[in-house]
Amino acid sequence: MKRRAFVTGKSMICALGDTLEAIVDAAHHKRIRMTHIPFTLASLPYTKPYYLIQGSEEDKLDNRSEAYFYDILFSTVSRALLDAGLSSPEINDMHVFFGSTSMDIPIFEGNYRKTSTSVSGMFLQSSNGYGKIASAIAETFYIRGRCYSFATACTSSANALLYAAAMIEQRQIERALVVGYDLYNNLGFYGFEALKSIAVSEYRPFDRTRDGLILGEACGAVVLERRRRKVGDFVYLGGANLCDTYSVASHDEEGSAVAETMNRALRQAGIRPEHIDAVKAHATGTENNDRTECAAMRVTFGSNMPPVTCVKPFIGHTVGACGVNELILFTEAIKAGFIPSTPGFREADKDLNLTPLTENMDAGKGIFMLNYFGFGGNCTTLILSNKDAMG
Amino acid sequence: MNEMYIHRAAAFTGEADTDMNYLKEEIRRYTKENFRRVNKFILLSLLGARQCIHQYALDTDTAIYLTTEHGNLGETADVLDEIYAISSLPKPFGFINTMSSTAAFYLAQNLGIRGRNITVSSQHLSFERGVDLLKVDFAGGAERSALIGGVDEASLAGTAMEGHADRSWRMVDGSGWCYVKPEREGACGAFTEIRSFGDGPSCVRWISEREKSPLDVVSFGALIGDDEADGLREILQPAAEFDYLRDFGYSGSATACGVSLFVLRFQGKTLLHINRDPRGHYAVIEVERF
Repeated sequence: MKRRAFVTGKSMICALGDTLEAIVDAAHHKRIRMTHIPFTLASLPYTKPYYLIQGSEEDKLDNRSEAYFYDILFSTVSRALLDAGLSSPEINDMHVFFGSTSMDIPIFEGNYRKTSTSVSGMFLQSSNGYGKIASAIAETFYIRGRCYSFATACTSSANALLYAAAMIEQRQIERALVVGYDLYNNLGFYGFEALKSIAVSEYRPFDRTRDGLILGEACGAVVLERRRRKVGDFVYLGGANLCDTYSVASHDEEGSAVAETMNRALRQAGIRPEHIDAVKAHATGTENNDRTECAAMRVTFGSNMPPVTCVKPFIGHTVGACGVNELILFTEAIKAGFIPSTPGFREADKDLNLTPLTENMDAGKGIFMLNYFGFGGNCTTLILSNKDAMG
Repeated sequence: MNEMYIHRAAAFTGEADTDMNYLKEEIRRYTKENFRRVNKFILLSLLGARQCIHQYALDTDTAIYLTTEHGNLGETADVLDEIYAISSLPKPFGFINTMSSTAAFYLAQNLGIRGRNITVSSQHLSFERGVDLLKVDFAGGAERSALIGGVDEASLAGTAMEGHADRSWRMVDGSGWCYVKPEREGACGAFTEIRSFGDGPSCVRWISEREKSPLDVVSFGALIGDDEADGLREILQPAAEFDYLRDFGYSGSATACGVSLFVLRFQGKTLLHINRDPRGHYAVIEVERF
């Protein structure tokens, strides 16, 4: 029998809160918290929305520092390890899989505010490399295993999870800590504005009137192990990653590469499209992404489209962190008995020919597809299940 | 160990101030495509990988594993300057290219391949971790051919060394690549071992107990100090040492360049490359050159 990888521990902090209970409750009742942030550095006369973590004084953007960055990270990891109920030897034996788009840019920007040196000069002198953050996790928690830091744009932490699960399935490792982390940074916020990708006020993926994405920040951590610890722990069934070489900034709107990624993930999981009970779409709310993804889902599922939902309107597009954080939000909601609806959706787009869930749907045991796409043509699909028989 | 046969290898190392136009000219020797809106990191990736592949016909499903310590931080610095110093929004493609995975994308697009496309890093062990991922994908049947390489710009490589290494080298741009398949036919070498150790004594124990001796060639990563290297030489008694850092210079992706250069230069020999990270984790790669 094939060895499986189970999600045995989870923790997350995002705009909805810093406990799984608070986050799921907010999603259930569609309580969304957005902040409007000005483009002060570029002297632009307007603001754009953002999903900020905001619980205390320390969370305010002007107060953030390197210590804040690591406090958020270590607190999240600590709670995930606790949720899994791992012993010290089990923690020592883990391997770290980290995924992020911004990596240490938020640290750099926080430090830069306190100096008067040139920004590029300071950046070139202070960069510690992409691997530093994962090493810091390992050192802090006495994790003796290997560290992998994935930098594949918005699929970063989804790919981190894909490889962690594959290594467990292949008996190369016993357990893994998978972290998706992106904090607010000006580089990302100003960069997406330069692309004219940020919506004006509301997040409305798949809606006819959608006008772009809204960024968010989050830190999520999951523990993967080869044994189910608790009833209801999700099992990873399979996944796939492919490169759509159509364009560095967008995908082929016919959706062929995205559909091929979904189909490979299904084959790797050993299931057929009709076995999927629901899909968590990537659904950035941009014109190209939503067209591509809906076209790909039609190719994959034909006329038997399963229920589809988009969770970014709850926490924002958390870029490289979205792989782990949307997985946590989606699976915790199912654990609580529902598949969350897509807040903000009002009007179907006949070109997309797909209406996501507009009300929460009762959920029990099932098999679920989670899709993630990113710049550089990166496409990743993960298949998870909470069915007992799948373990 | 899975079957990971090296069919082609190449490495480009350039002086720290290598001109972008020079890199573009070099790339034109391998492809007619004119690359616009790309940065030095992307050009280095393209040049090293195109040197490796040259005119070889790749399977459409070939995967790319791009390993790097710093990614394209040169352009990231420029984009930060646009925001903080010039007080404007960044140029759109400048921002997109701050994401290092775009280098692997341009490479896939240029080569017409669409397999897995992964950019991964791990302090001073990035190439070794990339080989780990390749091993997983070959073992699981997810991939049947792959380009694996390491790419870093010189201007940043020095900063990560401070306080860690007791030797110094000239800083270079580095881009080292291997084309790998599970089939032996047509191969020029193989990754015959990739091992990781949580500490030095475990690594030394494994090296001491190796049955494959005498060793042809040994090489050491940047953080292996002089005394430690002496101790390992004593155990291994290698016939030769390949000091690629001294001969070709250091970049964050020196290991990828060193392994690729070994394949190019040491016909009929076996290399044991020993490396460590700042945490004291060790990784050993064994490469056989047919």
